[in-house]
Amino acid sequence: MSGYEILSIDDLDQLESSDGTMVLSPLRRRIGFRPFGVNVWVGRKPGDRVIEEHREPYGTEELYVVLRGTARFAIGDEEVEAPVATFVHAPPGTFRGAVALEDDTRVLAVGAKAGEAFSPSGWEDFYVAFAYLRNGDEQAARAAVEEALAREPDAWQGSFNAACFEARVGNIDAAFEHLRTALERNREGVEPYLATDPDLASLRGDPRFAELTG
Amino acid sequence: MTVARFEELDAIEMPDGFVWHPVRRHFDIRAFGVNAYTAREPGAHIIEEHSEKTLQHEEIYLVLRGRVRFTIGGDEHELGPGQLVFVRDPALTRGAVAVDADAIVLALGGKPGEPHQVSPWEAMFAAVPAAREENWDEAIRIHVEALREHPDSAALLYNLACMEARGGRALDALLHLQDSVRLDPKFADYAATDSDFAAIRSEPGFPEP
Repeated sequence: MSGYEILSIDDLDQLESSDGTMVLSPLRRRIGFRPFGVNVWVGRKPGDRVIEEHREPYGTEELYVVLRGTARFAIGDEEVEAPVATFVHAPPGTFRGAVALEDDTRVLAVGAKAGEAFSPSGWEDFYVAFAYLRNGDEQAARAAVEEALAREPDAWQGSFNAACFEARVGNIDAAFEHLRTALERNREGVEPYLATDPDLASLRGDPRFAELTG
Repeated sequence: MTVARFEELDAIEMPDGFVWHPVRRHFDIRAFGVNAYTAREPGAHIIEEHSEKTLQHEEIYLVLRGRVRFTIGGDEHELGPGQLVFVRDPALTRGAVAVDADAIVLALGGKPGEPHQVSPWEAMFAAVPAAREENWDEAIRIHVEALREHPDSAALLYNLACMEARGGRALDALLHLQDSVRLDPKFADYAATDSDFAAIRSEPGFPEP
């Protein structure tokens, strides 16, 4: 491993979210950057969502920097048109979101929790895993799942997402095993997804599903 | 303040030609290190030549606008908008000059495995305009504020002593210089020839190299 690496944001993968509304270029994973979270979101055409509408309820502070094109940000109660080299700061809990106003808009997202050592969040691994899976690369997808489970072995979200992954690839026994673990860790967290998550469709007809979730 | 165009950030020119645009300080970001840089003119430094041996930071330099020539560990690379260099090894010397007059580099950095701490050098940079105007009270205030977060920063103590010596606070300057040398003896070598200390060099207790 060399002491430095050069690349372009155009060299990064462009991975669609499960619902097809978002496109992520996973910069942090690509270079193995460890101090905090850093990724690039892509709006391929005007009107595309480039930053999901959300808040960060667990204390993550974020900064967005427009790298290419123009985006319209909603931040708190404000709406602002943001061309290249605009900085949008989102303290924890602040509502934020953005849509692209130009073709090929790119927004850098930087985030971490103040006062805590950074540990990559499992959402990144599972976002990437499901995108690889949709693209037909099960091996790369499984590697990302295993990475997430190894990093956060006690997180219910990891077990739940692993259940979804195994259900999608047809490993039903493994899927039930992960689902059981997720429910044991946080039944309240899992329950809202049980009836509606399409990833679990192949499990619902199995008697074990009713047994676990009833 | 939640949104800023690049032009709305402060622009603080440093002695060797690069201009610091303090992004982290502007928003008071506490979770990570982020700043932007431009150059005084094409051919001038946009990123000062340095390593991260002291802070042990991993760094990303991302070109936001214009073209920039980086030198990383002796290798030269000219990068344009959307290109970046990730410097994994803190010991590598890195620096850059602007090729285009309007070039902007975004710099991101932090130490893996530890909560982010604001780097002491930020206060030293932030005090440059006040020092340039010989507004020593303001320059001292900025240093003292940063010292609360970094009481053991020898460089910060040394710089504070410089400001105090220039501002006529001889006793404070001497005490802070002694603290600095106690933490890192190399500052006694610097003090021996630093013109900031001309007024107090003959005082008893002035550190000897």
